[in-house]
Amino acid sequence: MKVSYNWLKDYVKHNFSVKELSERLTNVGLVVDTTTPIDKDSCLDIEVTSNRPDCLGFIGIAREVAAVACNELIIPDVDYATISEDVKDITNVTVKDKELCPRYTARIIKNVSMGPSPEWLQKKINTIGLRPVNNIVDITNYVLMESGQPLHAFDFDKLSGKKITVRRALNGEVMVAIDGSKCTLTPDMLVIADSRKPVAIAGLMGGRDTEVSDTTKNILLESAFFEPGNVRRTSRKLGIRTDSSYRFERRVDPECVDWASRRAAKLIQEIAGGEIAEGVIDRNYLKKEKTNVTLRIARLNSLLGIHIEKDLVKDIMERLQFKIISETKTSLKVNVPTFRGDVYREIDLIEEVARIHGYDNIPTKSNIGLKPIQENKFDVVVEKVRNIISGLGFSEVITDSIVGNSQNQHDAIWSDNSSIKIVNPIRQDENLLRKTLVHNLLRVKKHNQNYGIEKTQIYELSKIYLPQKNDKIPEEKECLCILGEEGFLSLKGVVEAIHKHLNIEHKLESTPYRFDLFRPGKSAKLKLGGKVLGYIGELSSGTIKGHDFRSTPCITELNFNLLVDMANLESSFQKIPSFPTMMRDLAIVSDEKITWNDIRGCIESLKIDYVDGIEFFDVYRGKQVEQGKKSIAFRLIFRADDRTLKSEEVDALQEKILENLNKILGVKLRT
Amino acid sequence: MQKKLIELQNQAKDDLAKAKSPDEIERVRTKYLGRKGVINEIIKAIPSLRPEQRSTIGKLANKLKQEISKWIEETREKFVVEERVPGAEEMFDLSLPGKHKPYGHKHPITQTIDEIKGIFSKLGFDIEYGPEVELEYYNFDALNIPPDHPSREDFDTFYLDNKLLLRSQTSTVQIRVMKEKKPPIRMIAPGKVFRPDTVDACHASMFHQIEGLMVDKGVSFSDLKFILTFFSKAYFGQDIKMRFRPSFFPFTEPSAEVDISCSICRGKGCSVCAYSGWVEVLGAGMVDPNVFEAVGYDAEKYAGFAFGLGVERLAMLRYGIDDIRLFFENDMRFLSQF
Ligand SMILES: [Zn+2]
Repeated sequence: MKVSYNWLKDYVKHNFSVKELSERLTNVGLVVDTTTPIDKDSCLDIEVTSNRPDCLGFIGIAREVAAVACNELIIPDVDYATISEDVKDITNVTVKDKELCPRYTARIIKNVSMGPSPEWLQKKINTIGLRPVNNIVDITNYVLMESGQPLHAFDFDKLSGKKITVRRALNGEVMVAIDGSKCTLTPDMLVIADSRKPVAIAGLMGGRDTEVSDTTKNILLESAFFEPGNVRRTSRKLGIRTDSSYRFERRVDPECVDWASRRAAKLIQEIAGGEIAEGVIDRNYLKKEKTNVTLRIARLNSLLGIHIEKDLVKDIMERLQFKIISETKTSLKVNVPTFRGDVYREIDLIEEVARIHGYDNIPTKSNIGLKPIQENKFDVVVEKVRNIISGLGFSEVITDSIVGNSQNQHDAIWSDNSSIKIVNPIRQDENLLRKTLVHNLLRVKKHNQNYGIEKTQIYELSKIYLPQKNDKIPEEKECLCILGEEGFLSLKGVVEAIHKHLNIEHKLESTPYRFDLFRPGKSAKLKLGGKVLGYIGELSSGTIKGHDFRSTPCITELNFNLLVDMANLESSFQKIPSFPTMMRDLAIVSDEKITWNDIRGCIESLKIDYVDGIEFFDVYRGKQVEQGKKSIAFRLIFRADDRTLKSEEVDALQEKILENLNKILGVKLRT
Repeated sequence: MQKKLIELQNQAKDDLAKAKSPDEIERVRTKYLGRKGVINEIIKAIPSLRPEQRSTIGKLANKLKQEISKWIEETREKFVVEERVPGAEEMFDLSLPGKHKPYGHKHPITQTIDEIKGIFSKLGFDIEYGPEVELEYYNFDALNIPPDHPSREDFDTFYLDNKLLLRSQTSTVQIRVMKEKKPPIRMIAPGKVFRPDTVDACHASMFHQIEGLMVDKGVSFSDLKFILTFFSKAYFGQDIKMRFRPSFFPFTEPSAEVDISCSICRGKGCSVCAYSGWVEVLGAGMVDPNVFEAVGYDAEKYAGFAFGLGVERLAMLRYGIDDIRLFFENDMRFLSQF
């Protein structure tokens, strides 16, 4: 809402400078976004919240200023002289839909002289960004801005049948609006019609055929109350937003409908001459209910945390033009004026007092006691895992939950059901909720590669959305997806590090599993205690080619909820061994088909107490190893709790282990 | 033969004195002490000597061998010491960069949320989470948002099939928590929210909010001011100024928007604060009685306040980031700055 500093002074005498006025308005909830000097005036652009349509007119703003400054509000006079001819003898108004149009008034002004409006009027509306048109249009705009009540002037002689019908539009009915646009109407829209056709879309815009022009002589002046919801829907549907629709949508003051009409009629008479017909046609179906609200002073003080006296509360109420109907020692009964449709409860009155008294005058203090915070295992695990992954060199990314179809493939591991669709996406090709994080990470890698960053070690810990067969509400699964650039085993090491640090009882198992995304033979399903934890793999050459990657990334996606469930946060100290370990590094030659799992299992199956660890080093294939075989190097760690092991003892154990490996797996020591 | 050994002794001394590098020392060693070195040749020749000469020459040869070994060691040590002396020909370049192991960075949004969680933890606020796919009831109805409110329209909220939607605010979580728990309540709820805004420097269709709620007997607007001032000063610095001004939200009454003095221009006015000297950081208010009614709390018995903040906005103000899209592009050159 644009407000002229000088013009506002017509309604309230105050001594605030532009800057002071802006501050005062902001402090009562009317935020002044900008102030622009124009001529010897200033235009204040005020942000009016949707609950305060009363402030969409100068008088409403002036009312707030008057309340703050304890000054008198000046309401213009609307008395005028009329001719003896009665408006009811000239025209008639029929309201067919009383729900969408609960009040409609019409006045007739005859024999006006069309022309430009006087300089003072042009200057005023110019300051707030309105373009002067002619005296009649300028006056209706002036009164709209002054009162917040939209008005419309019809060229009465162009109305067929010389009467008005307020009705719903017929399906497909067409009206050319003042701005020249052709509007095709539907029966959910309300129109103002003459005996033949619509002459205005209620609350939005008048028709071109009946607008006032240089040749206009007689005017029908409309002032009405249209149902806010319907005006908004029609406005959205037709894509028409006007100063009128903006106010009707937010609800105009039903009492002001006639006042604004009289005000405009008086100004027309003064500026454009003309004769005002006696009386008014006023179709008023609004129920006249009085809004009376009781305000308890103690309640007010306890809710705001202040101590103010009843007298001050009374004063504030009256400054806002609320009437005190009755009072007791501890409470006030208040009548709310019709322009404040937002106030109907005690809490609303408390807000009014808080606003005008000033939020600054409410103390900033508290005596809320101590309260221990509840344990939150999820947060603890998240923090631990993030620290581990960051420490291992991976950076966290956050990507969009809404994806396109190509980013939601390869997701059978979490859900076979088709993705959840967004009915109103911003882009038609990005209309799904993601079922995997993998493709988003690949996209991030691609973005970085485009900027010359060859290695992108990243992870995301976020939700995926899995449709359920028997429930319309999807499962929101917290997933941890990691993209590594240092090979399969490095990435597997990251998963193992997480597994270890979360102190999970179950072993981390990996079983071969074929994914389209991954290189054959280099992808696995990961399990914990029989439950699927996720999967890991190295991107297939096809995937790498498809993305133009210059490296070979590996990816793992894990069910983070499962990690949280299984994490054991209560770890206890383990005694540090008193005696040193003995180590033996071995290299063995085995068939290709023998796995590390086989070798480790074979050693463990001997259940030798003194074996404290089996550490894998590497696998070698090449010249020095027979074709079709591989050499595996590893370390055996021996330790006893009660003494230092002797070299000969360890030699004997090593021999035993090698014999068993040879017997079971046909593995030989490499020579 | 004895004479020859003495000659060798002097010769070796000379050679070592001339040696200028560890490599040259090694060459000297090979010449005298190597398997085919001079001394070994002499020792190999001993059996061919006369018997009375054999033991004397043997002893002398071994003694010489030991002596040369000792000299070689000494010469080597001298080199090691010399190497460390500044001004020697080879110098350790202290200005060379250190060797780095890469470490990862938490996303700046995560860091911001963690910091905010930390501040509210001190005040006894629990962390709560809620679903992102929501029912209209939690996103609107229970929050006192009327059926024809503009925020329900499809250019302000993403709708899914089955009357589901993507939550457009984390306020949904306060309803879920109040439906489940009895007062007293102190909680914050961080999370993602979604709005079909056209993406530009200031708007994203997905971003993060933190909702806060405190409900107890006798909670007042004064408590709201205290808690939010405590938070803002903890996050933005103790010397900032605060401004609470009336505003409107359907689920709070009275409502407030909270501004802090602009840290860029220190209140003088700049483009970040639109030349007002203030920047908005929070929306807040006393919980509307209609919300208490929706969750089955007695509004006469309990009072409370709620607040909400945009995580990206706070991070942008804190770090001076001018484009929200940077958070979701995940450029490593951006992420590694935090
Ligand atoms: Zn600034």
